[in-house]
This record gives sequence, structure tokens and C-alpha cells, in this order.
Amino acid sequence: MNALDYVVLFGTLLGIAAYGMWRTCGRKDLRDYLSGGGQSGWLLIGLSVMATQASAVTFLSTPGQGYQDGLGFVQNYFGTPFALIIIAVFFLPVYRRLNVYTAYEYLGQRFDTKTRLLGAALFLVQRGLGAGLTIYAPAIVLSTIFGWPLNATIICSGLVVVAYTVAGGSDAVSLTQKYQLGIIFAGMILAFVLLVMKLPAGLSLGDALTLAGGFHKLQAVDFSPSLHVRYTFWSGLFGGTFLMLSYFGTDQSQVQRYIRGASLRESRLGLMFNAVWKIPMQFFILLLGVLLFVFYQFEQPPVFFNQAAWKNQPTGSAQTAEAEFATAHAEERRQLNAWLAARRAGDQSSEKAAFALAATAHTRVEVVRDSVKTQLGKESGTPANDNDYIFITFILDYLPHGVIGLLTAAFFAAALNSKAAELNSLASTTVVDFYRHLLNREASDVHCVRAAQGFTAFWGLFAIAVAIFANLSENLVQAANILGSLFYGVPLGIFLLAFFVKPVGGTAVFWAAVVAEVVILFLYGVRHLIPALDISYLWYNLIGCAACMLFSLVIQAALGPAPKTPATPATP
Amino acid sequence: MIPITPNPEASATPAPESESTGPPGLRTWGAVYGLVLVTFLIWVGLLTVLSGIFS
Repeated sequence: MNALDYVVLFGTLLGIAAYGMWRTCGRKDLRDYLSGGGQSGWLLIGLSVMATQASAVTFLSTPGQGYQDGLGFVQNYFGTPFALIIIAVFFLPVYRRLNVYTAYEYLGQRFDTKTRLLGAALFLVQRGLGAGLTIYAPAIVLSTIFGWPLNATIICSGLVVVAYTVAGGSDAVSLTQKYQLGIIFAGMILAFVLLVMKLPAGLSLGDALTLAGGFHKLQAVDFSPSLHVRYTFWSGLFGGTFLMLSYFGTDQSQVQRYIRGASLRESRLGLMFNAVWKIPMQFFILLLGVLLFVFYQFEQPPVFFNQAAWKNQPTGSAQTAEAEFATAHAEERRQLNAWLAARRAGDQSSEKAAFALAATAHTRVEVVRDSVKTQLGKESGTPANDNDYIFITFILDYLPHGVIGLLTAAFFAAALNSKAAELNSLASTTVVDFYRHLLNREASDVHCVRAAQGFTAFWGLFAIAVAIFANLSENLVQAANILGSLFYGVPLGIFLLAFFVKPVGGTAVFWAAVVAEVVILFLYGVRHLIPALDISYLWYNLIGCAACMLFSLVIQAALGPAPKTPATPATP
Repeated sequence: MIPITPNPEASATPAPESESTGPPGLRTWGAVYGLVLVTFLIWVGLLTVLSGIFS
């Protein structure tokens, strides 16, 4: 990074944050502060929902996922359109009719206080930890690459988002998200165009796709019924629907983004915007990763993309691995150039033969990389993962100054816009479902706004603390989804019971939810001990939801008929 | 759907609801959702074709 990059980076981030604070500070009305002014149109809602979900992990880590495993991860999002339609039809009208601040208020009205608090508490635990991951993800990668101190990076970026979220509340979140998303899209499209331009002369986009397909990077859809394959059409469709239904329908960080649109229509259209564009957006980011893979078949990459970790290795073994890697990669390049020449000449038999030899050389390249990953992961017991460093390494090594600053700004912007929404929702839930509901029911709006600002700051500092102590062996984007899947199924079960199953009461739902959550955590905890239970994490959403619903029915049958009237009045 | 008594505040500040869906040519919400599902099927179809062509 040079001076130009730093000007672009800090100018962009601080400019958007300052603009957000200037436009929105001084909110005194609680509803305005927590939910916005209620004037948002469908595009702002749609962008805000998209920005909240698409954190830095999405843009930093997903291209690495595409590089390593191809397009298969796109199936993770196949449930999104179905989930968003269900929310638009059933959840949204109820939330708007009840005029609630948080989704958990509805549980209090439908069931009782303890079920409302359980739903809110599950959200606070999951989202509080998730907020730490949101800020940790870009900080670990960017501090490693640029040599910045990790903790200082976490603290500085965390404090920027705390400042404007505390000052302006929900409106500040939505307003800044719009501009931050613009920076992100501009940066990603620019990176894609520059990457395509940097592919070897004579290699068309069709050739690049043929090459990627030959290395099994374009297997976007897998219809196999196996529960053990992480990403299949079925796990994406069913597990993904439950994951997205829970995330978009019951996670306050999302509910807060669409619940206060200018009208039901605007909120619905905002959701449908995401139902249509989520899959192509993820496809585009994964395709960027696949093209990075193609690019690095003709340009020698580092043996391990996290160079800072690799440089700590003993010199002798590192030199041996690098020499083996360079030899194998040179052979692969030679064969791929022969393949390309044969392809241009229309010599199909030579083309096939050269590609087979290139594939053999590629296997040797991967063997060296695997041994390096195993060697680096010896201490943790699992192979080290460098997927998160692939895209940023390309940006630094091959893109011009100015663009480097823009893309770094895009990663931080993505982190800030997700974290801002998370902090805003954590503060809302803490104030509405705990503070105002349990401790201070007569509190004025002005008092509650001050309390919400205090809780926003508290959760911001909590997330910073989690980020400082985080240590992940998983690829970042997967870690975020795994954490979500552990806690999303059960709340979804509670909400589905609330919406659709009349004979079940709060006590049965509460205990069923507690038992179901224990079952999910148990399944995750023993997955390495019992191979049959080592299933794709997407299924936890479905299992948690189904277990919660089933246990509720059984417990209710044991308890007898549920009381007919709601036990808890709405929060004043 | 299970009926729930609305929050009293809701009736004090009713949200402006509209019958129209907004997108031209799509008069009902069923049509809007249908279009979203057709878009999904098109995406899955294109991705399947992409997987097939380049496998």
C-alpha cells in the first residue's frame, strides 16, 4: 500500500462514517432510533438487507472458497428465495400489524415472557459472538497482509462503527450501508475486470472456463443425496431454506432492516430484491475465485498464501517445499501452454494429452500444498487454511495502487456495514426485550434512546473483545455459517410454532427449545467421535427446528391443553 | 395463521399499506412470488448446464 491507497482507504471509510453521523445524529424518538423513520423504500431496504448479510467475510473469503473448491458453495444459498417468500407472506404482515420493535416481542404476545426472553437470549448469544467474527475476519487477514498490529486493527475499525451507530441508530446504519455497498460493488467489479484482463494472452474466457471445468471447479450443482457432502442441491434447498428462514425471519439484525419500510409493499419488495439477486451475487464472487484459480495456473502463486505464517517455518523444510512446488508448477504451466497452443491449432489429441499431463502436474502441486498445510497446522491438529488470503494476495501483487486502496476500503466497508446492523439489533433487543420489559417499564423514549446508545457501545466493545480472543481453524465464511447453523434452527422452530401451531403453549415451547438446543450442540460436539453424526452443518438448521417443534408437541401432550390467551402484554 | 391482538400502538400509527405490488405487469403478490421462483429455476438450470458443459 502506498500513500494513494491510504488516502482512498481512509477517505472512503471515514467520509461515509462522518456523513452518516452528520445526517442522523440527535435522534430522540425511540422508534426512530431503533427502527428508522419508517420511510424507507424497497431499494434501500433491499440494499440494507443485502449489506447486513454480506460482511467482509463474503468478499474476502468467498473468492478463496471458489479458488479452492469451485462453485459448489453457491448451493448454500438455494434456500434463500423460498425463505424470503415465506417471510414476505407470513412473518412480515404479522410483525407490521403488531408494530413490534423486535421479533421476540411477538413471542411474548403469542406465548409468554420466558419464551420471549429465551428467543432474545439465543439471538444475543449467537449474534454477539457473530459480531466478534464480523470484525475479526477482515482484521486477521488485512493485518497479516499489511503487517498492521492485529489488535489495533480490530480496535480501530470496531470504534469507527461504534461511533456512528451510537450516534445515529438505525437510520445511520441504513444510510451508510447504501454508500458502503456502492464502494463494495465498484471494487469487486473492477477487480473482476482487471483479473480477466490479466489472464494470459490468447486465453479467452471460454478457454478459462474449460480449464477450470477440467480441474472440477465448475461443479456448481450436485444432486447427490448424501448427508455427508457439505454442499449439495438438497442440503442447500432444505437446510438452506431453514437457515435463511431463521436468519432473515427471526434474527433481529435482519428483521430490523425490513420491518419499518414505508409500507408492507416496500418491505416485501425489498425482500424479493434479495430473493432474486442473492444467488447471482454469490455466483459472481465464486466465479471471481475460479478465475483466480485459472490465473494462478499460469503465474506461480506462493506455496502458502498466508505468507506471514509460512515465513515462520524452519528455513530448510520451507526451501525444500518451495523448490518442489516451483518445479511442479513450472511443469504444469508448460503443459497448460502446450494445451492452449494445441487448442488454438485445433489439434484435439494433443490438447487432451497436454491437459492430462497438466492435471498430473497439478496433482503434484496440490500434494506439496497439502503437506505444507499439514505442517503448518501441526500445533492445532487440523491442516492450516489459506483460502482467506488468496484474493487479497492477488490484489496486492497484481492490481495498481489506488485500486488496492479501494478494495481494502471495500473489505472494511463490508465489515462495518454488517457490524453496524448487528450492534443496532443487539442494542434494540437488549433495551426492548430485557431493559424496558423487565427493569424499567416506565422509562421515557429519551431515556431509552440513551440506554440504547449505551448498549450499542457495550455490544461494540464486547464484539471487539471476542475478536481479540478469536482463533479459527475454519475458513472464515464457513465459520460464520457454522456458528449461525448451531443457533438458528431452534429459534426458527419457536417462530414456526408461534405462527402455525395453535395448541402449543409457552411452557412446552420453552423446555422443548432448551432440549433441542442441547441436542444440536451435542451433535456438533461429537461429530468427530461418531462418524455417522458428522453431517453437513446446514442440516443442523432443519434438525434443530424439527426437534424443537416435535418436542413441543410431545411436552404439550404431557402437560395437557395450553392456555388460550396470550400471557404477556406488548412492551409499552 | 394464529390471530394475535395487535399492539395498541399499532392502531395509533397505522402503516400505509398498498394493494398494488409495484412491478409493472404483476398485479398480485402471487405473480411476484411466481416470478421470483421462475428466476430461481432459471439460475439453477443455468448452473446445471454450466456444470454439465465444463465437467
